[in-house]
Amino acid sequence: MQEVIRLCHSGEIAEGSARGFDPKGSGRDTMFVVRRDGLHAWRNACPHWTGTSMAWRKDAYLNADGSRIVCAAHGAQFDIWSGACILGPCIGESLVRVTLIESEEGTLSVDISQLETST
Amino acid sequence: MNIIGPDALVFGVDDIAACAQYLTEYGLQPVGGGRFEALDGTAIVIAAKDDATLPAGLGTASMLRKTIYGCADQATVDAIAQELRKDRDVKQLADGAIESVDDLGFALGFQVTVRRKLLDLPGELSNAPGSAARRPVNSVAVDDGMAAKPRTLSHVVYFVPDAAKAEAFYAKRLGFITTDRFTGAGPFMRPAGTEDHHTLFMIQTPPQMKGCEHFTFHLGGPTEVLLAGTRFVAKGYESFWGPGRHRYGSNWFWYFNSPLGCHVEYDADMDQHNDQWTAREAAMGADASQLFLFQHREKWAPGGPPPGAQRAPGDH
Repeated sequence: MQEVIRLCHSGEIAEGSARGFDPKGSGRDTMFVVRRDGLHAWRNACPHWTGTSMAWRKDAYLNADGSRIVCAAHGAQFDIWSGACILGPCIGESLVRVTLIESEEGTLSVDISQLETST
Repeated sequence: MNIIGPDALVFGVDDIAACAQYLTEYGLQPVGGGRFEALDGTAIVIAAKDDATLPAGLGTASMLRKTIYGCADQATVDAIAQELRKDRDVKQLADGAIESVDDLGFALGFQVTVRRKLLDLPGELSNAPGSAARRPVNSVAVDDGMAAKPRTLSHVVYFVPDAAKAEAFYAKRLGFITTDRFTGAGPFMRPAGTEDHHTLFMIQTPPQMKGCEHFTFHLGGPTEVLLAGTRFVAKGYESFWGPGRHRYGSNWFWYFNSPLGCHVEYDADMDQHNDQWTAREAAMGADASQLFLFQHREKWAPGGPPPGAQRAPGDH
């Protein structure tokens, strides 16, 4: 059953930055959005170890120059566009994409059924 | 070999500013030159990942570039140099320290220890009925402003592609003693100059994982671990595992994600062992690695509904 939850306005995520969200109200961010040449949304779960939260601090999902997603558990690096692990423990695996819903006014939402199953 | 334990870990990092803030808020003292010290002078050192003065990386995502061991005296450093020169290069550094590598390619340094003796830093006492070692009367255990500072660099944990080969190197070439072991995973080891249960633990993993799993500093006791961790969470840092208490070593723990490409732990109250100890062995798993585990949550206070309100079934 579809349940769409608003995240934020797309303008609140600056180019080259990331932001985590907890649309299910679980107490921890379960997904994050990166804006780099477009918006890219991923589940906050490193494929190296089931359910591993990736940020080292709130919204800290990227490397210093914002060119890669980094898991702060063991340093795994991921391509922002494809989610593929390109360095680290889970080479060959990939982040799980979350489909964003963007309204004409720029509101970003998700269907939280995408966040129900563990990876 | 009278090796006391790790004096410093050197990391080549991607984000100097983030790591500096992280290590400072973790509780280490920035003293310049990328060095962040505990109360006894043991330290984490950070430099840019492309700093030419650093030993080569491991070819993985790991940012650890060198583990520097503190030795009791220069004679120990010289003896290690003589031993390792039998089959590998040993670089002599200007300050009398040496640099080489272990059999898995991890860069190692050895120096006369920089550790300052910690004086007048009492550990945690409890008012346990029947115990002679209790807090003095009218001594209050906790207050909001109490210190919870890293006292000394405790241990480092490596992911290694060949734990048996790694264990043999540290045992046969450097005199480390295995105190306990996880079957098929790896050994907990201590050098001869300390009675801490382990300063090194190694975990067998695929080659692409080779590197540092975590490092930790000893705090003054379980209350300090929980307090330091709670303060760290309050600053926005991401808890990974804990707080809880390990089985092997008995140390209290709380692990966090970090921008150093590894986990960073607070720990306290680790077992001490001497040569009379017989190593235990168990299968690695959640039951073997933790006696119990808590999960952080926001502070709350037990209580019922406001006066006059309907009592909910779940209220106690």
